[in-house]
Amino acid sequence: MSAPENVTLTIDGRVVEVPKGTGLVETAAVAGIEIPVFCYEPRLGPPVGACRMCLVEVEGIPKLQAGCTLTAQEGMVVGTGATSEKAAEGQNATLEFILVNHPLDCPVCDKGGECPLQDLTFRYGPGQTRMTFPKRTLDKPIPISPTIALDRERCILCYRCTRFSESVAEDGQLVARNRGSMSMIATFEDEPYRDLFSGNVIELCPVGALTSTQYRFEARPWEIQNVPTICGLCPVGCNISATTREGKVKRILSRNHPEVDQGWLCDKGRFAYPHLYAEDRIATPLERVRRRGFGEISWDDGLDRAEALLRGAGGRIVTALSGSETIEEAYALGRLLRVGLGAHSAVLPEATSSALDAFRAPLSSIGHAEVVVVIGEERVADRAPIVGLWIKQARRNGGDVVELAEPKLDAELEQRLRSSDRAVLIWSGRAGGGGARLAELAHSLGFDGKPGCSAFHLPATPNGRGVAEAWAAAADRDEANPEPIGLLIVSGDEAAADPAVRALAEKAEHVLAITMYHGLAVGWADLVLPATSYLERDGSFVNLEGRVQRLRRSVIPPVPDELGWISKLAARFGVEISPHASLVFAELAETVYGGEASFGDVGERAPLPARAAYEPPEPRPVAPIPPPAAAPAEHFLGTLRLLRYRPLFSGPTVERVPELRFQRPAAEVELAAADAERRQIRNGDSVTVRSESILTLRARIDRRLPPGVARIAEEHARDLGTTVEVSRSSNPFTSAGGERA
Amino acid sequence: MSTLYEEIRELMAVYPEPRSATLPALRLAQEKHGWLSPEALREAAEGLGETPAYCMAVASFYDMFHLAPVGRHLVEVCTNVSCALVGAQQVLEAFERELGVRPGETTADGEVTLRTVECLGGCGWATIVALDHRYRTHVQPADVGAIVEELRADG
Ligand code: SF4
Ligand code: SF4
Ligand code: FES
Ligand code: FES
Repeated sequence: MSAPENVTLTIDGRVVEVPKGTGLVETAAVAGIEIPVFCYEPRLGPPVGACRMCLVEVEGIPKLQAGCTLTAQEGMVVGTGATSEKAAEGQNATLEFILVNHPLDCPVCDKGGECPLQDLTFRYGPGQTRMTFPKRTLDKPIPISPTIALDRERCILCYRCTRFSESVAEDGQLVARNRGSMSMIATFEDEPYRDLFSGNVIELCPVGALTSTQYRFEARPWEIQNVPTICGLCPVGCNISATTREGKVKRILSRNHPEVDQGWLCDKGRFAYPHLYAEDRIATPLERVRRRGFGEISWDDGLDRAEALLRGAGGRIVTALSGSETIEEAYALGRLLRVGLGAHSAVLPEATSSALDAFRAPLSSIGHAEVVVVIGEERVADRAPIVGLWIKQARRNGGDVVELAEPKLDAELEQRLRSSDRAVLIWSGRAGGGGARLAELAHSLGFDGKPGCSAFHLPATPNGRGVAEAWAAAADRDEANPEPIGLLIVSGDEAAADPAVRALAEKAEHVLAITMYHGLAVGWADLVLPATSYLERDGSFVNLEGRVQRLRRSVIPPVPDELGWISKLAARFGVEISPHASLVFAELAETVYGGEASFGDVGERAPLPARAAYEPPEPRPVAPIPPPAAAPAEHFLGTLRLLRYRPLFSGPTVERVPELRFQRPAAEVELAAADAERRQIRNGDSVTVRSESILTLRARIDRRLPPGVARIAEEHARDLGTTVEVSRSSNPFTSAGGERA
Repeated sequence: MSTLYEEIRELMAVYPEPRSATLPALRLAQEKHGWLSPEALREAAEGLGETPAYCMAVASFYDMFHLAPVGRHLVEVCTNVSCALVGAQQVLEAFERELGVRPGETTADGEVTLRTVECLGGCGWATIVALDHRYRTHVQPADVGAIVEELRADG
């Protein structure tokens, strides 16, 4: 690409030089001049010129122009409201016009104090109104979903929200209805706005028309603090600000990291914070009394009991990790158990690998890829929602997106990938060795030498790789799994909710659980030490790009944080480990991160480390992907392979947030059109799914699903086996149509 | 699949940009259902591969799409400038009296809906009244009784 040609222009008498084609709003900003805007938002696509707030005078053009729709041209002479009387008058009139029907109920509006309409009216608008007629009044607010309220009186029709819905999330659910002064933002037939990314419209709205039901009437901007941290709920690690008031988290806002999230968040990251205040949150250590009951004990007693359990197990200890621990916590736990007790055995939540470091690039590179190949049977959005948005962006920019169930490329695609300078591979499924298989593929396609070609593995846990590396760094010995297990340590809520870990516990003499919730501890733990949330910890996560990002404590947790008590407990076994994340990180940085990174460098907007040289991943035990079920013969309604998936809106955190209930998956089985047809099943039919057990679910036909599989969310599949029979439920009230049961 | 679905698919093939079929698709759906009920919008959306919300948004912009039920017959009186100058208001009032409904309403028996509309492009023959989309020209208040009778007789 040749460098774009520069142009020189004058804005308010200041001469600026920018690349040709730069937006006028950005050009003015370079000159230190503000062109005020409401509707302009480059992340939503081309400007629409809807609000006219940005009026400027351009020499040679008789009428005022919408500055946001112009780009810098050679020799242009522009006057903004600061120097051009005409522009100032135009902006003043625009604001007067916008305010004609605006209710000005600022004292009861959540946006008050951080409202662009207030701010711009104060600076550019009329001080008084000439409006003496009654204003338009409407019912308010109306819920457009359990998480978002809409006040149509306050809407200034900038169309930011509908453009987000149409051109970023591409869900097409939020629209403008009617025309002229009766235009209103609406969904279809009072259906809730149900999309993984719906909450972004709250942040986009420049007035108080779209507000968060969670944050409504909770705080005023001058009473809050915004803590820069990251989201700890998936391996993307979106940069966020946690808004806190009087020691409580009140909302989550995006904190745009242009390489990672581009300022978008998924609804899980945005709306899940009330998990901190769940009813069954554990506040003190608990000790089992009788068979199922717990008794509260002090922290001193808790640590004594933990010490006794650790000593009593005589080294026969297994640790089940969640992949949501900070690297500092995982390292500290590793030091305590491995160095202090010789207990090396850990159950990691997933395989991880550093092989993809050779094909590293920022997530934003997906957005302008020429071709994106997504491999695997899991939806990208269930594993790493923001990656799904980047893929959509690639498609909008003219890139091709190819979805493959398995890593088998045909000759044409292979050729295409070899010859492209902007190709991206994404692995969204099980197996894959934490990216090792994808690295081999990328290497074979010659991606090593092409910085524009990259490959990403979508892990199942937010910090699985960081945890694995930190655990590995804690000691350099390995040991086989102890039999029988004297003590099982369950670290974190995800491990505590994992059926495989539960099964392991059956074989253990004792269980020590580190969890936030009573519901996850009851019935199996002998000792419970309360855990904290990612919003309450200092430390670091490694995201799916391999970027080390920093978590900052947003609020003081109701219990001591893990690092603190692990450090104390470690001292009892002669292991020295700091209770401060920054010092533990320094120790880790030496061993794992090549002595380069420091806690300070990681900072608030973490950089991406450079690419590593490609090293063939170590051969690992082959875990074959189950072969696709053979295509059933024409008239035989054979079995289908059960494809279990873990939806984005699931897991112990989401389960504790009632506002997110509407986002959780329905009790459905998804079928390919051909499979459904063969069984005379129609969309919405009630169907029977059977293997060892029987379930009744609703059928949904998914045109993109390959034939031969039945896709069911983990929470609804329960204990079904790996192959299932699916048939239409014989309902006594409709004729069963001769379907065999 | 409904035939509406197939008809819409055929329409889409006619345009270089399939979305351009939205208006004709909505018209077909309206013809089939009498008005653009939620069900009709859902069907149109399925055919177009768009969301029902998108179809609703488009339909709500245009006057000739009905998002509420209408009677079997539609009387549309132009009240725009040219017609207004030669007494469209009086014509409208005559319809109101004759039918016993206000503009925007439907007679109790569900037979006739009365609406006012903007310029129908027949200014040279004002006042224009569209009866089930067919124009009557030079309509005077005195003609209204006969027109209504005619409509009712049409069953
Ligand atoms: S609701 Fe907000 S974002 Fe949407 S059009 Fe109205 S003012 Fe703009
Ligand atoms: S995409 Fe992942 S990191 Fe970003 S907000 Fe959602 S859960 Fe959090
Ligand atoms: S910001 Fe330019 S028209 Fe809205
Ligand atoms: S004004 Fe009535 S047809 Fe033009």
